Amino acid sequence: MLAYVARRLFFALPTLLAVMTLVFVLVRIVPGDPAQTILGDQASQEAIMALRERLGLNRPLWEQYVDFLQSAITGDWGASMVTGQPVLGEIANVLPYTIDLTVASLILGAVVGIPLGVWSALHRNRLIDYVTRIGSLLGLSFPAFVSAILLLLIFSIYLNWFPVISAGDRSDPLERLENLALPAINLGLIMAAYITRVTRSSMLNVLGEDYIRTAQAKGLPHRSIIWIHALRNALIPVVTVVGLYLGILIGNSVLTEIVFNRPGLGKLIVGALGQRDYTMLQGLMVIYTFIIIIVNLLTDLTYGLIDPRVKYS
Amino acid sequence: MAAAPSQSVTQSDVALDVRGLTTSFYVGGHWYPAVRDVSFTLQKHETLALVGESGCGKSMTALSILGLVPPDTGRVEAEAILFEGRDLTRASDREMREVRGDGISMVFQEPMTSLNPVLTIGFQVSEALRHHRGLSRREASARALDILEQVKIPSAASRFNDYPHQFSGGMRQRVMIAMALACQPKILLADEPTTALDVTIQAQILELLRDLRRDTGMAMIFITHNLGVVAELADRVAVMYAGQIVEIAEVEHLFARPSHPYTEALLRSIPRSDRDTAELYTIPGQVPPITRMPSGCRFAERCTYRQDRCAGDQRLTSLRDAPTHAVRCWRRTGGDLPTVGAADD
Repeated sequence: MLAYVARRLFFALPTLLAVMTLVFVLVRIVPGDPAQTILGDQASQEAIMALRERLGLNRPLWEQYVDFLQSAITGDWGASMVTGQPVLGEIANVLPYTIDLTVASLILGAVVGIPLGVWSALHRNRLIDYVTRIGSLLGLSFPAFVSAILLLLIFSIYLNWFPVISAGDRSDPLERLENLALPAINLGLIMAAYITRVTRSSMLNVLGEDYIRTAQAKGLPHRSIIWIHALRNALIPVVTVVGLYLGILIGNSVLTEIVFNRPGLGKLIVGALGQRDYTMLQGLMVIYTFIIIIVNLLTDLTYGLIDPRVKYS
Repeated sequence: MAAAPSQSVTQSDVALDVRGLTTSFYVGGHWYPAVRDVSFTLQKHETLALVGESGCGKSMTALSILGLVPPDTGRVEAEAILFEGRDLTRASDREMREVRGDGISMVFQEPMTSLNPVLTIGFQVSEALRHHRGLSRREASARALDILEQVKIPSAASRFNDYPHQFSGGMRQRVMIAMALACQPKILLADEPTTALDVTIQAQILELLRDLRRDTGMAMIFITHNLGVVAELADRVAVMYAGQIVEIAEVEHLFARPSHPYTEALLRSIPRSDRDTAELYTIPGQVPPITRMPSGCRFAERCTYRQDRCAGDQRLTSLRDAPTHAVRCWRRTGGDLPTVGAADD
């Protein structure tokens, strides 16, 4: 299995290179001059020219490209064009917040979504099922920023249970949880809505399988049939959806991070876009690609945990 | 007067007594019986074959006995299904669960899909033991291993933690049989256990079932559409057509003297190597659809001997000179003799 992981990562290298090239080109196609943006409208032409020179923006494109690749491989992703801080350092500062948020929403989504989906499937076409299905549809169609604002209003402003600004100290476990709670609930409920729907339909499929009838013919109690025989099979498509959705979730966390004023990759990327921070954007997109590759790999490894028919070769 | 077969044996010899079983399905707003008024007794240590073509209700009969007909689409009604002094038609869900896999087990047709793909075969075989016998994980595993050896899984110990996909079709069916036999059931319902297998494997599985029946003394209801298998394995045969039993007899009687026109036609349609036949015999026409069953004999439309009287009610009735041989055809029984077993209508 280690060999499989190593091979997968090795084959991810061309993907990373392609993405880096694409990112390099894309960032330079976007209209707007970073020197102008950094210095503002009032800056003199000389100052702008000097800054362009200093940032290397006057050199030929291919030179910039080779330089970009070389330094990226050696771990030097350059400094932010706006703050002057190393890109990698800035990303490393906020990455833990993003990982916290993603993992917490995933856990919340699974803990709420899987039992709800099973419950809904077992009460197919009865009141519980309808309520769950409508609820999950609402969860899917409700914009994340609206629910975020509602959560803030209720739990932070009226009830005063959680901080309004979720950018506290990560090293203090209690504070870390406090800051995580509302953003994670916000994204977790959307996640739960997805998982509920997939679990329900997958569970309904599995309950019609021959091996469920075999389990019934053995005289097993209902709970063994549901939780041992059916659920494990039903989880296979759920893993697929979670894997796909995790990529989207990392992207979707942008609005949540903004509303809760929480550091994270999403906020960083919006800031970098607004300020034409080429180097920061390059670094962020490569990191995103890397994250997606890792998530896909983890998804494939999870299949192996659930389904013994999956072989890593 | 011919005695009904069920009266010729004492109640203590009877493993299962099915009386007036009707299983209906909800189709387009109405309930239609897929199994209609099926009655038979199964003696202890006996193998009864249920024979008939696809859709004749033979599998549904077995599922009805175990209470495994999907409740949202199917409905089981019976005068009584007596097993060990209990009427299964009146048993609670909990009581039915106690019977399933313990007193009565079932082996299904498709070994490829009837085993759970994500659980080891060792777990699947030992599960019923842990549940019904309250054995610990270790005790159940030891017993499960014995059974897997009994059904002749090669190097069972090393394969105990393998998954179903690592076994061939024949081996999977052996695992299915091991699962069914784990709690030493009194009755095994075998629903076309060899149909999905290669011919050579079929013979092995049949031999295994025959050996196991001899060693354990269990009674068996063997469902098949293959009359060759019936001749090899069964003591008695019930031929089903369109949801009804049309003929029931000891296996030698049935082959020597098929008395229902459908049985006769079935026997004629077996390909034989000792006769020079250019074409295989086929029964003309089709089984009437469940939504449009004729009121009289259900086979009449396809029957070469059809007469006006066939439109009247047909009862399963013993032959005058063979009390254990009953037929649902007035031509053989005169149509005025008492019915077999429980009341027929």
